[in-house]
Amino acid sequence: MRLFVKARSFLRNLFRHRDVEADLDQELHSHLELLIAENIRAGMPPHEARRAARIELGGVEQVKEQVRDSRAGAFFDSLFQDLRFALRQLRRSPGFALTAILILALGIAANVIVFGVVQALVLRTLDVPHADQVMTLQPKHGGPFLSYPEVRDVRDANTAFSAVAAFEIQDFGLEANGVTRPVWGTEVSGQYFEAVGIKPFLGRLLGRADDDHPGASEAAVISWSAWKSDFGADPNIVGTTIRIDKHPYTIVGVTQEGFYGTEKIAQTDIFIPMANEASIDGFDWLTSRSYRNLFSIVRIKDGVTMPQVEAELNTITAAIARQYPKDEEGLALKLARPGLVGDFIGGPARGFLAGVMVLAGIVLLAACANLGSLFAARTADRAREIAIRLAIGSSRWRILRQVLTEAFVISIFGGACACMLAWTALTGLAGWHPPTRYPLKFYFALPQPSLILIAFLISTFAGILFGVMPLRQIFKTDPNESIKSGGSLSSAGRRWALRDVLLAAQIALCCVTVTAAFVSLRGLGKALTMDLGFNPKNALLTQFDLNQAGYKGGAAADHFQRQLLERVSQIPGVEVAGYANSTPLSGDAAVSAVFSQESSDFRSSNRAFEAYTYDASPGYLAAAGTPLLAGRDLSFADTPNTPRVAIVNQEFARQLFHSEQAVGRYFKNGDGVSIQIVGIIGDGKFFTLSEDPEPAAFFPISQQDNTSTALVVRTRRDTADMVAAIREVIRNLDSSVPIRELSPWNTQLGLSFFPIQVATVALGVFGAFGLLLSIAGTFGLASYTVSKRLRELSIRVALGAQAKQILSAALGRMLILLASGSAIGLLLGMAASRVLSAVVYQATAQDPFVLAAVALTLLLTGSLSVAGPVRRALYLDPATLLREQ
Amino acid sequence: MGSEQTSLLQGTLDLLILKSLIAGEMHGLGISRRIQQISGGTFDVKPGSLFPALHRMEEEGWISAFWGDSENNRRAKYYRLTKPGRKQLEAETKRWGRISLAIAQALEAS
Repeated sequence: MRLFVKARSFLRNLFRHRDVEADLDQELHSHLELLIAENIRAGMPPHEARRAARIELGGVEQVKEQVRDSRAGAFFDSLFQDLRFALRQLRRSPGFALTAILILALGIAANVIVFGVVQALVLRTLDVPHADQVMTLQPKHGGPFLSYPEVRDVRDANTAFSAVAAFEIQDFGLEANGVTRPVWGTEVSGQYFEAVGIKPFLGRLLGRADDDHPGASEAAVISWSAWKSDFGADPNIVGTTIRIDKHPYTIVGVTQEGFYGTEKIAQTDIFIPMANEASIDGFDWLTSRSYRNLFSIVRIKDGVTMPQVEAELNTITAAIARQYPKDEEGLALKLARPGLVGDFIGGPARGFLAGVMVLAGIVLLAACANLGSLFAARTADRAREIAIRLAIGSSRWRILRQVLTEAFVISIFGGACACMLAWTALTGLAGWHPPTRYPLKFYFALPQPSLILIAFLISTFAGILFGVMPLRQIFKTDPNESIKSGGSLSSAGRRWALRDVLLAAQIALCCVTVTAAFVSLRGLGKALTMDLGFNPKNALLTQFDLNQAGYKGGAAADHFQRQLLERVSQIPGVEVAGYANSTPLSGDAAVSAVFSQESSDFRSSNRAFEAYTYDASPGYLAAAGTPLLAGRDLSFADTPNTPRVAIVNQEFARQLFHSEQAVGRYFKNGDGVSIQIVGIIGDGKFFTLSEDPEPAAFFPISQQDNTSTALVVRTRRDTADMVAAIREVIRNLDSSVPIRELSPWNTQLGLSFFPIQVATVALGVFGAFGLLLSIAGTFGLASYTVSKRLRELSIRVALGAQAKQILSAALGRMLILLASGSAIGLLLGMAASRVLSAVVYQATAQDPFVLAAVALTLLLTGSLSVAGPVRRALYLDPATLLREQ
Repeated sequence: MGSEQTSLLQGTLDLLILKSLIAGEMHGLGISRRIQQISGGTFDVKPGSLFPALHRMEEEGWISAFWGDSENNRRAKYYRLTKPGRKQLEAETKRWGRISLAIAQALEAS
């Protein structure tokens, strides 16, 4: 009952605030009237009676405040009041409010976005049961790939894993419902789904029996998302027959929702047994120890520790190396977190993300410093108001609470804006498809409540921390002094204040982000203009694999390719055309060992070096725009029956002969076959843009057939016409060839420029954030300083000071702060950009261009942000001002 | 809270207000005067103490308020004792009796 009464009055106080207030007002009025009446009855004259009554009642407002304090929910009531007041205050100074909210939003959004990406790519484990036990095996040295016998040996010899599996991500020509289209799939060995540990959504998954021997099973499993989008979520999908590269397969199951293979950035749609690889890939690599093309996935048994696993791995690999010294010498395996090709991409990606995270932290710090000086200036501005409130009896606690509420309101708005920004950016990223034919895709579970929570926590923390910092001033305020001195708490700018230090720190931090942005921008510029060793301009690249159309290598494929080349060369407008098995920078690069002509021991430790190798047709080099420096082009006259020949690049010749005069000389491949060098080409880029010059060799495709075809057509004609013409030619030759890519070569190089573009965009955004922050901070403090010292400056002008003196008086210190902040920032930035060199081509901040650009940008933004205040200081009219104040 | 002579002990004001309302419904000034009268002029309750107490006690449910006409036809807010208020008065009176007895004993002891 009592609780009910209390609750009722609480609610009434809260929601019928106006009525309650009106009632209180009336009651006090009637009380006054009664007092007056009483006094008149006691014989006082009316005005005397009124006066005495007023004295007895005391301050009406004070009584009201006391009554309010005693009410139920008084705390909430005044909180609402504070909130309303805070909102009103912010509306009244929209400049301050918007700046503060913008600063917070930028700083926090930067962090949330970066954290979102890090969480998705690095922190989040695979979405499988007991993900902490799922790891990947990879060689300690060299590339990330393993050969099938290596994985098999580990699988058969270990005691530490409950399952060991190999997998290869492949593109297939998938024929379903009469249409053939290229899809990405995974060839998996028998224990793959045991290692992953997921449940099927429909039907069953692939098991050991499916992978027992070639042709053991023609079962295929499709992913949940492929089932949903490509197969129309058909509940009776199990049992359906499809054709993969012309071979019939039966769909036996659908994976559980959210499973898309074990690589986080690659979604594959279909899983088939690895035992069938020869029929799919066109040649058998299951028994080859030197053909390394597989990733692995293992599940560690319960209770087995990492050191135990590593010890066992060392024993197993040592045994393999002893048994097969030719191919496996020096084999050493390590465990890595799965998802980003182990440590291969994971390592650099983690490093880069850590760097970006630091930058994001710097932006946040700068934002906080900015916010701090903004709040400090605002508190100083409000000195007079605070003094008046103190003077009419407001408690300091109440004022403090008011200021806190304001800071809180700003942080909430800032946090909300940040969430919106971050959400938009992350959604965009998740839906974004990098410019590549590979199934790269980012997976962000959106919206991530944890991220929103983090955003609000940072926001509230930053807001309140910096809102409260200037409160020292409030508590020192002597209302009397403050009102007399015209409302400035501290005479602005006599001693170095906290906000000056904050400004310098903030400018230094922003300078770091700006430097990083320029370094990566410069790197991108260099990358775009650097010599690739070929010319992707005015060239069309067509890619397909004849294997997917049922060609089994040998004569049939060779016949098709030559016919294609002949017909394409006859298309009007084609300058020159040629084909190869693959092109440089296409993402799949074959590497083989090179031995000197004198070698007789072909163990890998005895090799001279490894070179990128390509199989090319005559005319390919011309079509690719790779100039032949010496010797002759490849020729169809080079056949399996003629001596083996190759064209090598300068780096190859330098490494093997320490000279570029290599035409006519010989080297040997891993099989001990002598190969004569018939031509020399210039150096180029083969795998990444940031690589050092690497040796490479081009072999005549007529000496070793390859179904994988990359046709390069150099043309001056309109791209769309040419694309249609080439497509027509291929269709006429064989309509069942699934064309993977047919577009300008430049477009397909996207993936190579991808890391540096990502870096540039990311760093550019942070640079822009940094600049915005430093402009806001500098402008804020400069205009604040000028407005605080207007009176003093007017007196100086009135006494005849010159423009220069006025400027140095008003903003001299600002300039010192700007200059020192920038200098420190530039030094820090130079140190920090070393980190960038992993991702960005020739990243260095010692570049005079970068230094000049950073200095110029800072100078420009600095002058831009103080221009307004400078104008105000220079053109002030002392007469008006001194009269006003 | 307070007067020239004696500060009111915590909780005593409530007791005095409840006690004064025993005589019947009264407005704020009436209550104030009544307390002055029954305490023989010892306690002079200022509006700054009286009104917060009245509003708090109303929220507790001990007294209820209504608007009425005063003796000389002015609108005034009147308070009257409720049933829980009477109970509270009894309880408070007993408690006060015990306290004053105890204090008196304590002071008499030597």
